[in-house]
This record gives sequence, structure tokens and C-alpha cells, in this order.
Amino acid sequence: MRQVIKFKIKRFDPMGAEGNAPYWQAYNVKLDHGMTVLEALLKIEKNDDPTLSFRRSCRSAICGSCAIMINGTSKLACHTQIAPEFEKHGEMVIGPLDNYQVLKDMIVDFTPFWMKMERVKPYLVPKKEPKGGWVITNEDTKVIDASQKCIMCGSCNGACNSQEIDEGYIGPSASAKAWRFVGDIREGDKRLRLDRISQEHGIWDCVRCVSCTEVCPKDVAPMTAIEKLREEALAEGLDDNPGAKHALALVDSVKRVGRLDEATMTFKTLGFLRSLGMIPFGLKMQMHGKMPHPILFPAIGKLDEVRGIYKARERQRKNERKKKG
Amino acid sequence: MVIHDVIVIGAGLAGMRAAVELAEAGLDVAIVTKVHPIRSHSVAAQGGINAAMNKADSWKDHMYDTAKGSDFLGDQDAIEVLCKEAPENIKELERMGAIFNRDDKGNIAQRAFGGAGYARTCYLADRTGHSMLHIIFEQVIARGICRYNEWHVVEVIVEDGVARGVIAIELLTGKLHRLHAKAVLLATGGYGRVFSASTNALSSTGDGMSLALRAGAPLMDMEFVQFHPTTLKRTGILMTEGARGEGGYLINANGDRFMHKYAPNKLELASRDVVSRAEQEEIDAGFGDDGCVFLDLRHLGEKKISEKLPQIRDLAIKFEGVDPVKDPIPVKPGAHYSMGGIMTDIDGKTPIKGLFAAGESACLSVHGANRLGGNSLLEAVVFGRRVGRGVAKFAKTAKLYPFPEDALKNAAHGIALLMNREVGESASKIVDGVRKAMQKHCGIYRDKKSLEEGLAKVRQLAAKLDEIALVDTGDIFNTEMINVLELGHIVEISEAMLLGALNREESRGSHSRSDFPTRDDENWLKHTLVYLEDGKFRVDYKGVSITRFQPEERKY
Repeated sequence: MRQVIKFKIKRFDPMGAEGNAPYWQAYNVKLDHGMTVLEALLKIEKNDDPTLSFRRSCRSAICGSCAIMINGTSKLACHTQIAPEFEKHGEMVIGPLDNYQVLKDMIVDFTPFWMKMERVKPYLVPKKEPKGGWVITNEDTKVIDASQKCIMCGSCNGACNSQEIDEGYIGPSASAKAWRFVGDIREGDKRLRLDRISQEHGIWDCVRCVSCTEVCPKDVAPMTAIEKLREEALAEGLDDNPGAKHALALVDSVKRVGRLDEATMTFKTLGFLRSLGMIPFGLKMQMHGKMPHPILFPAIGKLDEVRGIYKARERQRKNERKKKG
Repeated sequence: MVIHDVIVIGAGLAGMRAAVELAEAGLDVAIVTKVHPIRSHSVAAQGGINAAMNKADSWKDHMYDTAKGSDFLGDQDAIEVLCKEAPENIKELERMGAIFNRDDKGNIAQRAFGGAGYARTCYLADRTGHSMLHIIFEQVIARGICRYNEWHVVEVIVEDGVARGVIAIELLTGKLHRLHAKAVLLATGGYGRVFSASTNALSSTGDGMSLALRAGAPLMDMEFVQFHPTTLKRTGILMTEGARGEGGYLINANGDRFMHKYAPNKLELASRDVVSRAEQEEIDAGFGDDGCVFLDLRHLGEKKISEKLPQIRDLAIKFEGVDPVKDPIPVKPGAHYSMGGIMTDIDGKTPIKGLFAAGESACLSVHGANRLGGNSLLEAVVFGRRVGRGVAKFAKTAKLYPFPEDALKNAAHGIALLMNREVGESASKIVDGVRKAMQKHCGIYRDKKSLEEGLAKVRQLAAKLDEIALVDTGDIFNTEMINVLELGHIVEISEAMLLGALNREESRGSHSRSDFPTRDDENWLKHTLVYLEDGKFRVDYKGVSITRFQPEERKY
């Protein structure tokens, strides 16, 4: 006897009898050996309910069409085997990707996704080609290879915590694309790209929750791309924005007192005038006894050891630079 | 009504490459695609793209290998263009941003591929098509080319022998739209999904070919379908030829390599038709395991597999539960590539004024009776570019002919008829029937009796098309309706294939007739043409261009 598994599918049809609200529908699927979630959806479409809508194409994890929520995580339907998934969760709950507007059933509006992609100018703007053409080594490729693997399935944006609170946030997928060009030895607009993506809604808005990297089906590791973009932006001296200032203030604070000096961080990140806007927030904190003392801030003991780490890192950097020539 | 200079249907490598060329020429070009461009099936090409880049290699050698691979049915004037222009196209792709794997000296690395006398396949790991499709899409974005994503073309409008544009359905709203243009370029890919087991995407239903056929253009060499030797046992997912190019073996159920019996010189790297037949013979002789042989990569070691074939490893683990580092992968031959397609000349022109075709949906023909691995991406870029330039030249001087008044009304009527039928046949049952019939009767080995049976079955199922009733009558993303539209294409293409196969009484390349086991140049060194006239198919023939290489016995 083959196992029968119940699929609970979140449905939505703006023109349907259920009105403009999502609803749940259950389907029983007889499991074949090795069956994927996409195969189950195709089976439901064929045998039970042809009104079920979902995107599909290559069914081999390269076209990026079929990203959906499976038991609360964004995944490619074609790349997810049912048996282990069911064993882990004890149920199969299927729905459209989070963080996107649902159009019908599992079909979501990808327009904002593509617009973000276009915001990072997703094509090479080449420098002048050296005589005899570019010589690219496998090492050069390695720097951007993870970003190049992106299939634009949108899973990462669906899992992104910053995206959830800020629709305008550039998002992990477009950031990975940006790194693909910033890290390319042939790219001519590196600084301009870094400047643009350092602004509000850009790379500094990432909260580094690692969700994007966790859900990515192709090991693109978008968060690593964001970190590299941040490093490159600072190396280019692009620090005149709240995100970079915040990061630098943190580095500075730890170097100075061995820990986070929150009051100073606010001033260094926002500047004097904008910090004044934080006064009501500060008063609230004061009322709850959470306000750090604005002037007296005790440094930790053994500050020398912390500074030693800084010195070691500085030496390391110098060596790296020497190696690079 | 929307007016553009040129409408490109399909956003795979060939379609978008052509669109880039058209935009470069200053024309207003729009792409209509039933999926988002980067979901197109070019994305799934794994192994690589051929070009004679090395001094020890030459375009003439590449041309010879291609002509021989085609079993001398390929048109050599077109093959010459393909091979001559290959290296500059690779360099052009690289300037656009493409990255290829490199050798130790920093030159573009090349791997060995089936049927080739030289290692001339450029690659990026085992996701070359993915890289190239994304690169060309980037160029489309860079030029701000207009895109109608998730629009399904229902008809190419031709009146008085001139293409006028298309009618397409917008999946988001279910609305029909008229797109009026001076020229229409079909680049819709292959027809692998006429079979029940295929490496192709679910969307590879040969739409463009059937649209062209209905518009009055002939299809050519439709009986030639490539069966790829290494597709996964359960799902039919592709395992690249690059796996054998990197040194992988084929073994039977006893663990023995067997290719020396069938291709003593090239072994696993004989051309695909030869290797697929060899596998089938092993399986039929009882040396298979549950209908499969094995692709053995174990001796390559984990490092090489992870570096050169990472996707293959992931797919084998995820879809077959086999880690190629530890165990051989069960594989079988599966439908993979459509050598046949819309008949065009060397510039992509069909006999209909203003109607062009490129890529897998076209038949120039560069692949003849069997395509070599690494030549399909190459055809898409070389002829995408060339045909794009040709269409640009045409559109710059062409007149915009009026769009027929009643075309939209007629198309809407057809859709309404389907949507409003209360009781009728189930589309999924019909499509299953057609696919099973094609799998059984039009597979690797064919004969008269079986082909006739297949044709009868397909015709019987085709008669039910006008009786299909839908369950889903909604407007928004009605995927059931799209499935029915695709079924219409599948049925027509199947009939064209069966007719071509039934008539061709010889064995050549991928077309193996058990009742006519040898190649017959005297009678069959010619292309099959299939026309659709007043609802009836008509078969005709045309000669092959033979310029440099006379047909000779084909051995590997």
C-alpha cells in the first residue's frame, strides 16, 4: 500500500466564489517513491482540481518558477521530496511565497522583484578592454561564482526579515546580483554601484538574520554577498551614510571601551541634528531605566586584549594588501 | 491595438539574442513569452557550447564533425556559418559579461563532447545554458526591450501571404490582445513534451511550430528527435554529456562497460543517437536494470565531480537518491532535442513574408538527422544574431500591412467556445493518450506497423479536441486553458512527426527503422516537409545542401 498524504493548500482567487479572501483546501495524494512536491501539485491539477494555479517549467531546479512556501519555508516545489519533508514536519502545508502579493493560489506578483533587480543595473558595464582581451582566471571567477548561480526564484526575498518591514528594501536577490558585477574584474562602474546600494533601502538595511542564505536552493549565499558589498563600499571610502556610519561607530566603540556605547553610536550614526529627533525615544528609555548614561560609560577591563585583536587584524590586512600587490 | 516593428515570440537564447540585435538596429522590438524570459528552457542546457578556438582545431573540423553527426542530412551551407562564426560569438558573449571556465593559462577551457574530433566545448561548470540565458537577458534589460511576460500567443496572423502580427492571451487577466507588427520571429524552442518521458521543461510543447504550420508555413524533418543517452531513471531529468566528457563511463547491470561493442573508437563519446541505441540494445538484451543502464562517475573522484559537475551531483541526489561519488547513476535514453522545426532559409526566413524562425523551433538545418552535443546553444546564439540582423534588414524597409478586422473576434470566439462548453472530454486524458502513443510508437526504434498504429491513435485523440470541456472557467491564471492550447500544438506536431517517420523508409541519425535498418542516400538524402492545408497534412521533400563533405559511411 502506498502512503496517502494530505496536502493542505492555501488558495486564493480574487474573482472566485470565496470572495477576496484566502482559504484552505485539502487534497489527498498517493505517494510514489521519490515524489516531489511539484509532482504532487501536478497530480492534484490532473486528477482532482484543474483550477489550482501554480507556476512550473523545468522541474529540475534551474528555471526558478516554482518557489512556494512548504511548511513555513520558501522552497522550490520541484526540488523538495515529499517523504523526508513529511517525516520532519508531520504535515504538508503549502502556500504562496511570503512577502509577495498573491495573484491567484500559489502565483504571486513578481513585479517588485524584477524592479529591484533593475534597480541594481543588472548588466556588466565594462571597463576598457586590455590589449589582447581580458584574461580571467578561475580565481577571479570564484569571487562571484556563488552570485552567478542565482536562478531568481525569489525564495530569499520571501524569507527576508528586512523585506517584511520595508517593501522598498533592495533585498537579498538583487544584492547578490549587484555583487556579481561589483566583484567582476571587468566592471567599470564599481564605485557608482556601491554608492547607490549603500543608500537607504540598500545593503545597510540587512539585519543579517541569514534567512536568505538558509533558504537558497542554489547556495548563492546572498547574505555573504551583502557583507562583501559592505566591505567593498567601506574600502572605497563610501561611509557618508547612516548604515556605514553605524558600522564604523560600532568598530570605534569597541576599540575605545571594549563594548557597545549606545549613546555615542546614535550621534555617530545619525549626526547631531537627526539625533535630536531621538530625544522622545530616549526619554521613554529613561522611564524604563534602559537609558545608557550619555557621558559616563565604563570601559571593560583588559581593554588591551581587545585592542590587540584590532592590531592583529590591521597587520593581517596589510599582508593581504601586499599579496594583492 | 499595440504596434511594434517586430514581435519575437519566445524568450530563450535565440529569441532574446535576436531581440538584442533588432534593438541595436534601432527598431521597436517586443518579446512575447508564456513564461518569464529566464524561465525559458535554454536555462537548462548544461554541458556547453562548441567553438573551434584552439590553433590545433579549425572551423572546418567542427563543420565535418557536425555534418557527420547529422548523418549528412544537415545543410552544409548553414553548418559552415555555424562553425565559422562560433569563436567570435563566444568572444562576444564574454564581452557581454559571460564567464567560461579557464585552463591553467587563463584561456577558455574546452571539454570533450560526443561525436567531436577535438575537445571544443566551452563551458561554465554544468550550467552553461543558465549562465548564457541570464547574460542575454541582462542585455535585453540594458536596452530596455519591451517584454510581454506570461502572455501566451494563440495565433500568428497571416493574410494574403504576409504576417501581420499575433494575438496573445495575457495570463494575469485572461484578456486577448492584438500585437501588430511588420515582422514576426518565432523562437519558441522544441517539442520534447510530445513524449511522456523527456528532459524538456513542461513548457516545451512546440507551440511556435504548430502556430507556423497553421499559418501556412511548412515544418521540416520533424521525424528526427534526439534521445539523450543519460536521463535520470525516474524523472527523465538530464545528466549532461559533459559527465562523459569529463571521463564518465556507461556500464550495464553486470558492471561492465559496453560501448566498445558499438563504437570501438569513440566509446562513450560517440554521437548521441549511437549511444542511445547502444543502451537500448543492452537493455533489450537483458543487461539492463529495470529499464536502465548506469552512468558511472565514481572513478572521477569527489573533487572533480564537485568542481566540474556540481549540479549533476545535486540532481542525482535530490531526484534519484544516488550520490555519484559513491554509486553509479541509473540512466536511460530520453527525448531531448527536436532536430526538426519550421523550415527556414539560412537567414531564418520562412516562405511566408514577414514570418521568421530561429533556434530549436527553426530547421535550417544545421543538425540534420542528429545534433552534436554543444551545438544547440551555439545555434541559438549564432543564428539568433544572424536572423535578428536579417529581420532588422527586412523590417527597416517593410510596410506595415493592416491587421485583419475580424482576427481578434475569431480568436475570442474560439476561446469562448472552449470556456463555455458545459460537458465534454478531459484534456489531461487526451494529452496522456497522445504522449503514451508517441512514446510507444515514435521512440528510438520504429517500424511501419507501429507507426501506423501510433498515427491512428493520435488521429483518434485529435478528433476529441473540439469536445474538451474545462473545469476552470476563471480569467486569472487559468492554467487549465493553457494546457488545452498546448495540447492542440502537441497533437498537430505528433501527427507531423509520425507522418515524416512513416514515410521515411530508411535509418538515418536518430531515425531508426527496424524494417529499413540502413541509410539510403539514393532515395532519402532529402528533407521531409509537412504542410497543413485545409485541415489536412501534406508531405513533400526538398534537397540537401552538400558543399564540402560528401556523404560517407558513419562510424565512431
